Amino acid sequence: MSADLVVEDLTAGYGDAQVLHGLRLTVREGEVCAILGPNGAGKTTLLRALSGMVRTRGTIRLGDAALTGRPPDAVARLGVAHVPEGRGTFMPLTVEENLRLGAYVRRGPDVETDLERVYAYFPVLRKRLKQAAGSLSGGEQQMLALGRALMLRPRLLLLDEPSLGLAPIVTRELFGIVRTINEEERTTVVVVEQNAHLALGVAQQAHVLETGRIVLSGTAAQIQADEQVARSYLGYRV
Amino acid sequence: MAGFLQQVVEGLGAGAVYASLALALVLIYQFTGIVNFAQGELAMFSTYIAWQCVAAGMPFWLALVVTLAVSFAGGMLIERVVIRPVEGAPELTIVIVTVGLFIFVNAAAGWIWTFLIKDFPNPFPGGALEAAGVSVNWSTLGVLGVVGLVMGLLYLLFQHTRIGLGMRAVAADPASARLVGIRVGRTLALGWGLAATVGAVSGVLVAPLLFLEPNMMGGVLIYAFAAATLGGFDSPAGAVAGGLIVGVAETLAGAYVGFVGSDLKVGVPLVIILGVLLLRPQGLFGRAAVERA
Repeated sequence: MSADLVVEDLTAGYGDAQVLHGLRLTVREGEVCAILGPNGAGKTTLLRALSGMVRTRGTIRLGDAALTGRPPDAVARLGVAHVPEGRGTFMPLTVEENLRLGAYVRRGPDVETDLERVYAYFPVLRKRLKQAAGSLSGGEQQMLALGRALMLRPRLLLLDEPSLGLAPIVTRELFGIVRTINEEERTTVVVVEQNAHLALGVAQQAHVLETGRIVLSGTAAQIQADEQVARSYLGYRV
Repeated sequence: MAGFLQQVVEGLGAGAVYASLALALVLIYQFTGIVNFAQGELAMFSTYIAWQCVAAGMPFWLALVVTLAVSFAGGMLIERVVIRPVEGAPELTIVIVTVGLFIFVNAAAGWIWTFLIKDFPNPFPGGALEAAGVSVNWSTLGVLGVVGLVMGLLYLLFQHTRIGLGMRAVAADPASARLVGIRVGRTLALGWGLAATVGAVSGVLVAPLLFLEPNMMGGVLIYAFAAATLGGFDSPAGAVAGGLIVGVAETLAGAYVGFVGSDLKVGVPLVIILGVLLLRPQGLFGRAAVERA
């Protein structure tokens, strides 16, 4: 059974303000899709719509499961892990507790196996197991957030600006791990990112969002080569 | 010296009752950020249920189990019906709602059971344990034992069960808790049920010492507020320590500070509340949030 993410005629917003105007996109199972665009384009809102954090209209399907209209906890139980802006860390709880919460909706002994798997990806977390998550550095917290998301064994992983506030070297390491996860676990990923270079480096396809509409879609290579995108988001002239 | 120890022991007995009501207050505060002014009245209502069960011929301990079960369900129901509609409303709104609940529960108890005082059976044997010149009532020991047991069970629940971890996650960050798949509404209701149960324990423990009547918990609630403030509203262990300290301070002040006597004892918790808020607003055991920017 395929578990493609299919989005059709998606509108979403906050109160009276509509932010997304009829989006349509498909992410095939096991692919990484990058969402690019300027501030205020609706990138974060798109992820929130996918995970049920904002009211939406239209269709969102993951495989044969309809996600539209479900609250975030129900979407999570269908295997969607959202690492939100601000990372969603439980600050007063320990690193290990944060990770276990990632697997909250799953039971059974494989939770222990998955903890080991996360420590293998992020050895630094093993050293901090009993430490309050709030005391970690920004980079460690982002690793914890990604680790927590992996504990769900997600079918779909949503990442919101993983590079935000991190040193370039940490960011590159993080994207390297995202790529590994995608390759090894065949996890479908939708990543919203200001740093277009990095995002296009791991993505197979990309969409450019402007004021709530998709203005450009294509393979990562096509987008990378696009003159307009290069000028606007990649920071150099071709 | 023996006289002093005697006072301390009696203070601990009283303090254990304050501690359990303070624990109920702290539980709800942690989950919802709400200071539940009706907590004492809910405990009083629970105590009446226990009294009713005993009056109907149930053995005490069975009546207690029934009472705790009813309290748990009642707490969840109150969260669903009374608190849920004002969730996310300004603090003042929620405070008014809990004050309204206070008045409603108080009046309901008076309406059902009248305001005449009732005798409540003491589950513990009479007499006292004599040791080192100090005599400790069995009922004081019983109260301390029960509160210790409740503490222990809560600790196990929060630190060693999946549900407890989920509850702490909701207390820490409800939005993130939703994202990992926790049913937050259900968890909040569970928290209210748990708090009502813990509060019921305090009502049942205090009833034999005072008399059962609808205004029984008014004074206890003030002590519980003092205990929670002293221990820190975000620390269950602090609430218990705070309760014991308040109980001992109150008893000692009554015995040794001439002008306090038995009339001004109720002023002691108010002095404690004021002092803590001035000197250490997060309480003795409260955490200043550990968080890196």
